[in-house]
Amino acid sequence: MSKGFIKKVTMEEGALQYDFSRKILKNLRGTPVTERQPGGEKTGPNDSTMGKDILHLLPYKGEFLKPCPGTTDYICCGYQILNLGTNCPLDCTYCILQSYINQPNLRVFVNLDVGLKQVFQQIDKQPDKIFRIGTGEFTDSLAMDPITRLSEHLLPLFSRRRNVALELKTKTTRVEGLLASKYRDRVVLSWSLNSPYIARHEEKMAENLDKRLKAARRCQSEGFILGFHFDPLIHHPGWKDEYLKTLDLMDKYIDPKGVIWISLGSIRFMPGLKPIIRKRHPNSRVLDGEFVTGLDGKMRYFKPIRIDQFGHLRENLEKWHSSLGLYLCMESDDVWESTMGWSPGETAGLSRYLDKRVVEFFG
Amino acid sequence: MNIENDLTSIQYTVDFVDIDDSPGPFCMSFGFELEPLIQSIQNVGMVNPPLLIQKKSGTYTIIAGYRRIRALKFLDIKKTPCRILSESRVSELECFRLNLHDNLATRVFNEVEKGMVLSRLTSLVSQDQILNRYMPLLGLPSHSEKFFFYLRLEKELEKEIKIHLAQGRMSLQVARLLLEIGRGDRNRVFELISALNLNINYQKQLIDYIIDISNIKRIPVSTFLAENFFSDILQKEGFNKPQKVKALFHSLRVLRFPTLVRAEENFSKNVTRLGLTKGVKVSAPPYFESPHFRLEILFRNGTELKEKLRILTKKEGLEVLGNPWKERV
Repeated sequence: MSKGFIKKVTMEEGALQYDFSRKILKNLRGTPVTERQPGGEKTGPNDSTMGKDILHLLPYKGEFLKPCPGTTDYICCGYQILNLGTNCPLDCTYCILQSYINQPNLRVFVNLDVGLKQVFQQIDKQPDKIFRIGTGEFTDSLAMDPITRLSEHLLPLFSRRRNVALELKTKTTRVEGLLASKYRDRVVLSWSLNSPYIARHEEKMAENLDKRLKAARRCQSEGFILGFHFDPLIHHPGWKDEYLKTLDLMDKYIDPKGVIWISLGSIRFMPGLKPIIRKRHPNSRVLDGEFVTGLDGKMRYFKPIRIDQFGHLRENLEKWHSSLGLYLCMESDDVWESTMGWSPGETAGLSRYLDKRVVEFFG
Repeated sequence: MNIENDLTSIQYTVDFVDIDDSPGPFCMSFGFELEPLIQSIQNVGMVNPPLLIQKKSGTYTIIAGYRRIRALKFLDIKKTPCRILSESRVSELECFRLNLHDNLATRVFNEVEKGMVLSRLTSLVSQDQILNRYMPLLGLPSHSEKFFFYLRLEKELEKEIKIHLAQGRMSLQVARLLLEIGRGDRNRVFELISALNLNINYQKQLIDYIIDISNIKRIPVSTFLAENFFSDILQKEGFNKPQKVKALFHSLRVLRFPTLVRAEENFSKNVTRLGLTKGVKVSAPPYFESPHFRLEILFRNGTELKEKLRILTKKEGLEVLGNPWKERV
C-alpha cells in the first residue's frame, strides 16, 4: 500500500492553522484538498467503503489520553489509549471500528501538540505510575506513518520519560520512519498476528505474515523491543496447524528474548457488528463460530472453544520461550486459570504484571 | 404553500366513475384497516372531503383521501363531495406535500408507507432535501444509509411481506434480514414464517440461523432450505404448530451451536444422575459464561431446609457438577 491510497483530503474549518496539518499536506502534494464545515459530512451511497481513501484533518475536542474501554466483567490490561486519529485503511473483515466508529474517513487529529502537552502533564504528575500507552486501538499505528510521520514526532517525547511505554501496534511494514529515528527507549513495536489463513482471507489489505515478521526482525535488529498480539484468534478449519505456521515464522525471524509481551484475545464484538460484516464482507468466515453473549454483552466464542485456543497457543509459544509476557485480553479469572495455569485475579493484577515487564525491559 | 390562500379549490360532488381510484402517484397508504373508517362514515358521514386534482382529460386523481374513497365504495356510495384542484395550477410536488402533511397531521406512517413516501420523493426533490427536510418529518434520522434501506424496502420486498411489516407482524429488523437474502430464498423463508405463524422474535432467530448455517455449510440458503430437515419437521404427524416450532428451533440450534448444546445436555444429564431431592434445583449460568452455578432450594421452614441441606451434603457424586467439558490445565 503506497501513499497513493489517499484520493482526497478534507479539512475541517481551522485545521490549517496547525503545523501538523501543513506537514501532512506537504507529504500529500497533488492530492485534492477541500474544506468542510464541522459535522457537515453526510454519508452517501458508498458508505460501505467508510471513506477509507479520504483523509480528514480536524482538531480533536476530547481527551487525547483515555483508559482502554475495557469491561468490568473480564480482566483487562489497564492500557491507556493515545487517541491521535480514528479509522484504518486496512479494512480487516472483523474490525470493530466498522461498528464502533460512526463517522467515515481516515481522521487525523491535527491539534496534536496541544493534546500531547496535556498528556505529558498528566504523565509527569504521576512519576511512580507506569503508563502503558498505545495508539493502535482506533487505528493502525503505522499504516499512515509515511503521510503523518507521527512516529518521528512521538518517539523523542516518549523516550525521554521514565514512567511510560509507548506501544505502536500495526499489521503493516511501514517502519522506515521509526528506523530513521535515533530513539529506541520506552518504545514497543508490536505486530498483530494471526494464522496465515486468516491473514489471507480476513486481513486482505494488511501485509502478509512473512513481511510483518521480517519488518519486526528488522526493527529488533535495530534495537527496538517487540510485542505481539494474537488478537482476534479465530476458529477456522485446521486452525491449530495454521497458528503453528505463524509460530514457526516467529521462530524463524524473531529473538524471543526481545519480546516484552504477547497477548492472546479470542474474537469478540458487539452484536451490531454482525450485520455489518455480513453486508461488507459476505465471504468472511469470522461469523461461523459458536458465538454466545458474554457477560459484557459482546459476542464471544463459547468458553471451551476459547480455552482450547488459548491453551494451544500458550503451550506452543512456551515451547518457543518460557518468558514471553503472555497474557489474555479481556478474559475471566477461570479461563486464565484453566489455560495459563495462573490468574492475575483482576485488572489491577494484570496491570502489575505488565508494568513489571516494562521495568524488566526498560528499567 | 397554503391550500386556502395559494391554491384555488372548488368543492362539488364527484361521481366515482370519474375518479382514478388506483393508488396513484400521491398515495401513501399501505396495509391499512378499512373497517374503522367505514364505521366512522356510517356513523357521522364524510367529515373531511377528499382532495382531487382534475386532469386535462376531465378525470380525477386522488391527492388526499384514497382510503376515504375506498371506504365509500365499500359502502356502495356512488358519489361524494370533493375539493378539486386544477392540474394547471398545482405542481406534482405541491400535490405530494398536500397529501403528506394531511397524513402527518392525523396519523403515524407505518414503515412501508415511509418507504413509499421517500421513494416518491426521489423524483420530486434532491436527495439532500429528502435527508434534511423529509426524513425528520417521518421521524427518521437524516442518514443516507437509512434512506437507501427504506427505498429497498419499498422496491424489493414482496407485497405479502410488506403487509406483515405494515401491520406490525414483522419487525423492521426482520425485514432488513430478509432483504439480505435473494428473492427466491426470501419467499421460501417467508413461507416458513407464515406456515409456522412465528412471532417477531422467532422470525429473527429463524432467519439468523438459516443465514448462519448456510454460510457455515457454504451452501446457498435455497439449498439448505431444500433439505428434508425442514419438510420432515413441518410434516411431522401428531405435532401441533407450537410443537413443530420447538422441534425446528431445537434442530437448528444443534446445527448452529453443536458444542454448546452438547455441554448443556451433558450438564443436564449430570444433574439428573444426582437424583436431587424434590424442590432442589441446580442450574448452569447462561452459556456457562459466568463461573458460578446456581442452587435453589424450596422449603417451608427451617426444619425442612436443614433436612434438605443434610441430604444434599451427603449426596454422592456432587463433585461432577461444574463445567461439562474437560478443563485444559
